[in-house]
Amino acid sequence: MNCVTESPRLQGWRKTMSEQRYKLHWITAVVETVKALKDMIGPFIILVVVNGFKGERSGPWFIQYWSLIFFGILIVFILVSGIVKWRRFDYWFEDQELRIVSGLFVRKKRYIPFDRIQSLDYTEGIFHRPFQLVKVKVETAGSSSGKDSEAELTAITKEAARQIEQEIQRAKKDQIIGPLLHRYDNDELLLYREPEVAQETARSASAIFSMTTGDLLMLATTSGGIGVILSGAIVFLSQIEELIPFDWLFGELESFVRFGVFVITIMILLGFLFVWLLSVAMTFLANYDFKVVLEKDDLIITRGLLEKKRVTIPLNRVQNVAIVENPLRQLFGYATVVVNSAGGVGEGAQIKLFPLAKRNRVIEPLQEMFPNLDFNEPTEKLNEQGRHFYYRFKLILTLVVISAISYFLFPYGLLTLLLLPLMWALGQWQYRTAAYSILSKQLTIRFRTISRHTVFTEKNRIQAMEMNQNYFQRRKQVATLTVNVKSGVTVDASSIRHMAQDRAENFLKWYEYSPEGND
Amino acid sequence: MLRQQPANQISKKGLTVWRLYGIIQTLITLAVAIGVGFLVYYFEGPIWIGIVAAVIVVLYAFFSIYLFPKIRWERWRYEVREAEIELQHGLFIVNRTLIPMVRVQHVDTAEGPILRKYGLASITISTAATNHSIPALVTEEADELRNRISTFARVAKDDV
Repeated sequence: MNCVTESPRLQGWRKTMSEQRYKLHWITAVVETVKALKDMIGPFIILVVVNGFKGERSGPWFIQYWSLIFFGILIVFILVSGIVKWRRFDYWFEDQELRIVSGLFVRKKRYIPFDRIQSLDYTEGIFHRPFQLVKVKVETAGSSSGKDSEAELTAITKEAARQIEQEIQRAKKDQIIGPLLHRYDNDELLLYREPEVAQETARSASAIFSMTTGDLLMLATTSGGIGVILSGAIVFLSQIEELIPFDWLFGELESFVRFGVFVITIMILLGFLFVWLLSVAMTFLANYDFKVVLEKDDLIITRGLLEKKRVTIPLNRVQNVAIVENPLRQLFGYATVVVNSAGGVGEGAQIKLFPLAKRNRVIEPLQEMFPNLDFNEPTEKLNEQGRHFYYRFKLILTLVVISAISYFLFPYGLLTLLLLPLMWALGQWQYRTAAYSILSKQLTIRFRTISRHTVFTEKNRIQAMEMNQNYFQRRKQVATLTVNVKSGVTVDASSIRHMAQDRAENFLKWYEYSPEGND
Repeated sequence: MLRQQPANQISKKGLTVWRLYGIIQTLITLAVAIGVGFLVYYFEGPIWIGIVAAVIVVLYAFFSIYLFPKIRWERWRYEVREAEIELQHGLFIVNRTLIPMVRVQHVDTAEGPILRKYGLASITISTAATNHSIPALVTEEADELRNRISTFARVAKDDV
C-alpha cells in the first residue's frame, strides 16, 4: 500500500537509525490461538448440543462424530497458525517508517510512515501481564481505506513499546529540525529547539477525570450489555428446553406439573440473575480504574482490571462532544460523555470519554480538555407548530401494530393499547427536550431519541448541513435540520426534528460563508 | 422570509434520461408480470392474480415514467457559489444541503452509457464524511463545475 518513498534529504540526515529486525514475544502464539478458539466456542457448543446429545446413533463412528473430528482438526490448524503467526512476523524501523512483514506463504508487507501515525494504543491482557508485555495497536490518520491503514503488534515487551514511541517522537522532531540543520546555522537551530524543551517540562500528567467506585457500580448495574447477554441467554435456554423431557414430565406426573413449571420458572429467573451478575462483573472489570489524562495535545484513557487498556486520542482529531443520558440514568442524575474522533476505524471512532459520571460533574473536566467549546445548555426551544409532528406519526404507526396484534391474539393483544399513551408521552418528551444554541463558532443541539443527547460541535468540524422537509412539514412550515460530522471513516449525523422552517434556515445562514464572521 | 431556492436547474435532457430509466424498469416489471401471467395460465390459477399483475405494471409505468421523474426534475436545484455548494432535491422529502468549499475533499464526474449518449454526466462531491451528487449535467458543464469546485476547495487540514 505505501510505496517506499526514497527521500535522500532525510536519509542523509540520519543513518544512525537502527535497522535491526524485531520479533514479537512467543506468547503471541498463545494469545492468537486463544483468540481464535474463543471465536469458535459458540458454533462448537451449538454443534455439540445439536449432535452430541442425540439419543440414537447410527452409521460408522466417523460419521457419528464428524463434527467433533472436524473441530479437532480445526483446533490443530489454529494452534499451528498461531505459532506461524508469531514466527513469521518481523517489524523494524527504516526510512522514517515502521515496517512490518508477516505471513507464511503470502508475505504481507506494511510500511507505515511515522508522521502518519496518530497514536499507539496499548492493551495488557491476562497473558501479557506476567511477562510485562503489551499489545500495541498503531492508529494512523484516518484514511478511507479503513482497516488497511492500521497495524497490530500482538505482544511485545514494554521496553520495545517505549522504543517504538521514542522512534516516532524522534522522527517527528527530525522532520521539524532536520532540514533546518542544512539551511540555518546552529544558533538558529538552538532557538528553534528551545520551545521544544520547554514543552517537555510543561508536560503535565494529572488525571483529569477518574471514575469513582460508586459511578463504576452504577455503570455496571445499568449497563446496556444486559440486553445483549439476556438475549443470548434466551437462545441458550431455548436450546436447554429441548433437553428437558417435558413429555415425560407432563405425561407421567401430572400432579407435579404445576410444581415443575414453578421450578422451571424459578430456574429461568435465577438464570437471568446469573447472567445479569455476569454482565455487571464484566463491565466492572473492563472499566475498573477508568482514568482520562490530558497529556500535551493528547487525551489518554486507561482502564481495566484484568485486561488493562490504554487508548490515545489526539485532541485535534476530536470532531464533537456529546453528553448522552438514558432515562434510567438521567433519573439518577448520571450521564455518559461520547466523543467522535476522525481517526480510528469502526468502533474506535466513537469513544466513551466518560462511561458514566454525575451530570453536574462532567462539565468542568470537559471544559479543561476542550477550552474552545462552550458547554452551556442550549437555550432556544422549539415552538408550538412542530409539536404534533413528534407524536402524530408515532401514534398512527402504533395503531397499525396494535390492530394487527389485537386481531391475531384477540383478548390479550388488546393490552398493547397501553402503548398509545406511552408513545404519546415519548413524543411530548422528545418535543420538550429538543433545544439548540447557535454561537458564533459553535453549534449546541439537544435532542432525544429515548436517551437525551446534547451535542457540542465546532463550526469548522461540520462537514455538511442538511434541511429536510416532507409534504406535511412543508404545509406547516417546519423542517428537520441535520448536522454531519466525520466519525472515523463514516459520518455521525445529529438532527433536530420539526423546528420552524425560518429557524432551520437560520442554521444554514449561519453555516454559510460570511466575510467578517469566518476565519 | 423563506430562503431562496438554489439558482440552477439540471439539464432538461436529464428528465429524458430518467424517463428512459423508468421505461427500462417498467420493461423488467412487465417481464415479471408476463411470467406470472403465464404461470397462472399454465397452472390454471385464479384470474385475479393476472389482473393484479397487470394493474401493478400500469401503475409502475405511470409513476416511474411520468410522475416521479417530473417531480424530481422540477425539484432538483443546485448552486455553486464562491464559498459553498447548495443542493436541493427529493421526491417526497425535500432535502436542502449546504457544503462549504473548504470541506470538499474531492470531486468526481462519471458518465454511464445512457448518460453519455445524451451528452450528460453526473458529478459527485465528497467531503471527509459525506458524499453528494448532482445526477445529470451537460458534460461540459459538469467538467467546468468540477474544475471550479476543485479550484475553490481547499481542505483546512486540521479540521478533520
